[in-house]
This record gives sequence, structure tokens and C-alpha cells, in this order.
Amino acid sequence: MIGGNMSRWTMTYFAAALTWLLAALALMAAGIGHPATDLAAPDTLVLVHVICIGWLSTAMCGALFQFVPVLVARPLFSERLTLPALGLLTAGLIALLAGFMALGGRLPSGPWLLPLGAVLLVAGFGLVILDLGLTAWLRPTGPARFVLVGLASLCATVTFGAVFAFALAGWAGPVGDAVLARGIPLHAIAGLGGWLTLTAMGVSYRLLSMFMLAPDVEDRQSRLTLAAGGLAVAATVGGGAFAVGVAMRLNAVLSVAALLGLTCAALYGRDLAGIFRNRKRRELELNMRMAILSFASLAGTAVLGIALVSIGTLPLHLGAFAFLTVFGWLSGLVLAKLYKIVAFLTWLETYGPVMGRAATPRVQDLAAEQRATKWFAIYYLAVWAGTLALLAGEPSAFRIAAAAMTVGVFGIIHEIIRIRRLEDVASPLRLPAGAVAPHLLFAKT
Amino acid sequence: MTDQLVERVREALRVVIDPELGENIVDLGFIYDIAAAGGAVRIKMTATTPGCPATSFLREGAQAAASAVPGVVSADVAMTFEPAWTHDLIAPSIRASLGFAAVN
Repeated sequence: MIGGNMSRWTMTYFAAALTWLLAALALMAAGIGHPATDLAAPDTLVLVHVICIGWLSTAMCGALFQFVPVLVARPLFSERLTLPALGLLTAGLIALLAGFMALGGRLPSGPWLLPLGAVLLVAGFGLVILDLGLTAWLRPTGPARFVLVGLASLCATVTFGAVFAFALAGWAGPVGDAVLARGIPLHAIAGLGGWLTLTAMGVSYRLLSMFMLAPDVEDRQSRLTLAAGGLAVAATVGGGAFAVGVAMRLNAVLSVAALLGLTCAALYGRDLAGIFRNRKRRELELNMRMAILSFASLAGTAVLGIALVSIGTLPLHLGAFAFLTVFGWLSGLVLAKLYKIVAFLTWLETYGPVMGRAATPRVQDLAAEQRATKWFAIYYLAVWAGTLALLAGEPSAFRIAAAAMTVGVFGIIHEIIRIRRLEDVASPLRLPAGAVAPHLLFAKT
Repeated sequence: MTDQLVERVREALRVVIDPELGENIVDLGFIYDIAAAGGAVRIKMTATTPGCPATSFLREGAQAAASAVPGVVSADVAMTFEPAWTHDLIAPSIRASLGFAAVN
């Protein structure tokens, strides 16, 4: 494929994802679903799924529909599946959340809500897996392999989740009840570690090399990183399912998975260091500088995990560990990359069609990095403060940190909207003859 | 006459920029060859990454810019990734503006 197409609905996915992120931050600031409380508490389940499905998975799917074709230099298997997938994911998540709220007594009892949510989410993620999997499968090289392993992990995550939903409704029999009783760590690791982390790693290899003009990481090297991560997920899912089946303790399986996960994170750090060291563009744009803070957060989660295991308090501080993983590493990276991807796609949509006919700005001219820096700084400082507040057992301080994160995210969203509206492009170049201003929520071309 | 047309086309292509690097495709070394026979111009060009949505726009932009040159009857632009583009093809005069390190 010489040149790819713009995915029409990527912006719609991003808008939906950011809306869910604001909802999650509002819940945390209001003290609903505090990360340090019991993971199985209905309010916590609401918060966790708003973050993991609504925010992170929706943003990741939108980005992948645009970038998997770039990774494999092949067109997307079907652009027509992307909007129905978003509809199913959104409807499924709403039903799932309603089911959790009914469990917690916030809504009238509705045992069918959770299975309905599960069926809709299976259908939505099924379309995503089908579309992206068939696209990447045709040329599974380099970073595309990470996406394929990520999609396999998503299959496992969704399967566990669906069993849980049916079990919570009392429709899954004794086997479902056994899986629900002990399988939650497997579901969480497959989702956060396999689906979201491995996929983010894979896409980052290509984006970082592309935007910094660095040579691609050697295939042999990145394969080793992926092997460690893939084995960690396989050990968790395969070993975990076996352990649940024969009523064994999960400790041995989780220890092996943790060691492999740490190895993967260390190898990824080595790969990233190579990309940054060998880059041709020495000056780093804002999205790269902010991505470094998310990589530091990933390193921080590894150090925190080791420290908590060493002193035997990981179960007590699982919320803080998960919070830093989700908001420092994954959300930080997604926000930093969204800032760049939106500018890049908006440029293509607005100025691509008039290239050669009129002078056009650069992608960087669509963004005001100096102004945006403070919102990212507020966000990251608040995330790290929130982690410390959770470790210290200070719920009030955590709510203040969540409120500060909300301020940072509002600022970032405001900057993204300004990019989409071309508000920072100098007037002579802003809308040359023949160019059409983009729609906020979808691509016109 | 033909050489002059080729140079006029080359100059016209400078209006097309790589969106990310912000420099024109001639100075970035994306233009591998320009040939003219009569008023028919054939351009062979590349881009940094195959599969990127910008690639199609770069090709169409080059086509539009070349077609607008007086004396050009037809412009045919072929995109190729053989050989692959490397940083060495960038004109030395604009390397510094891209923030390239001197050692690189």
C-alpha cells in the first residue's frame, strides 16, 4: 500500500473516550469508587470499567483503526465495522455500568443488565478484533505483532469478563461461580498488561521512530520484549485458568507472570533508550517530552511493585499500584499521543487535499505547545500526588489530586479542541482556498 | 528547453511540504527523478513511511504542483519505496532547521 486512508471515525472514538475519562475523574473526585477500596465493590467496578473500557480501550481502538494500516502498510480490513463497533461498545458499557449500579443498590435490581452488557461488549470487541486482527494478520511484522498479541489478550479479557457478568447474574453455574471467585486478577492482568500495555508498546515503537526520525528497533530485539510480555500474559491466563480448574492457589502463577512482566518492562526500557539515543531529531516535541513522563511512570510502577512485594504489602496497596499503572503509564501516554495524533490527522484532513495548490502550515503550527505544557504538568503531578495519597491512606488528599487531574485533563481537551478548530494556525495559512474546516467529531474526507 | 522545464517543475514542487518535518519535498530528498518529454512530465518520488495517510496527499500534491507549471501538458507522479528514503538525502542546508544533531 503506497498511502493509507484516514479512518473516518477515529475522532469520534477519541471524543467518546475523553468523555468517559472526565466521568471517571468526576467519580474519583467525588469519592465514588475509591481505588483503595475492595475491588469487587460495585462502585469500584463502575469506576474501573469506565476507565478501562470507556476511556482506555475506546481511545486505543480509535488509534488502532488509524495506525494498524500504517504499521502493516495495508488498508484496514473494513472501515464499515468501526462505527457499529463503537455503538456496541458504548451500549455494552452503559448496560454493564447499570448492572453494577443495580448490584450496589443505586438502581433497581436488574439481573439481566450485566449479561446484556457482556453480550454487547463481546459483539463490539469482536468486531474490533476481527477488523484489526485481519488487517494485522496479513503482514505481522515488527510492532504489528504486539497488536496481535494485544488482541489475543483482549479475547481472554473479554471472555473472563463475560463469564463474570453471567456469574454475577447467577446464570453461569458452579464453574462460572468458581471463575468469578478467583479469576479477577487474571482478567485484570490480561486487560491492563496484555491488551492495553502490549498494544501501547507496539504502537509506540512505530510512532516514536516516525516522529523522531529514529531507525526502527531491530526486529530480534523487539521480539524478545514481546516474548517476555506475551509469556507473562500466557502464563497468567493459561496457568491461572488451570489453577482455578484444579482449585490450586494462584500465587505461583502470578509470581512467574510478575517476573516475566518485569523482564518485558525492562527490555522495553532498553528499546526506548535506543530509539531516543539514535534519533535524528534532537529537539523533542511536547508529546515526546510528556511520553517520557509516562515511561517514567511505567518504571515507577515496576519499582513500586517490587517494593510492595518485598515488604509484603502489595495486597494492601493494590489500588495505588493499579492507579499509577492506569493513570501514570497508560493514560499519560494516551493523552500525550492524542495531542499529537489529533494535530496530525487534522492537518491531513484540512491541508492534505490542497497540497501542491497552496502554501500550507506544518503539523506543529496547529498546536500551541507552550500553553499546553502546563496542563500536562498539572496532570502528571496530580497523578503522582494521587499515588502517594493512596499509599499514605489519605482519601481526602486523593480526592484533591483527582480534582487536579480533572483540571489538567480539561485543559488538554481544550487544547485538542483548539487544534481541531485550527484556532492556533496563523491567519494567512489557516484556511487556504479549497481547504475545508474539519468537523470536531469525525473526518469529512 | 527540457532541462529548463525540469527545473521549473522542481521549483514548483517546493510548495509541497512534508507535514511532520515542515520542509519541502525537494529539499527533503523525496524527489528521486524528474523527466520531461515534450510537455509530458514523469516524477518518481518517495516518502518517509509506506502506508501513512500523508503519502497519498504528497503524491497528489506533487501532481497538482507539477501540472500547474506553464508548458506542462501532463504530469505523472509515481510513488516508490525502492530505494527507501534515508536522512542522508536531506539537503545539508536544512538539516539544522530540523534540529538534527551535528554528529548525525
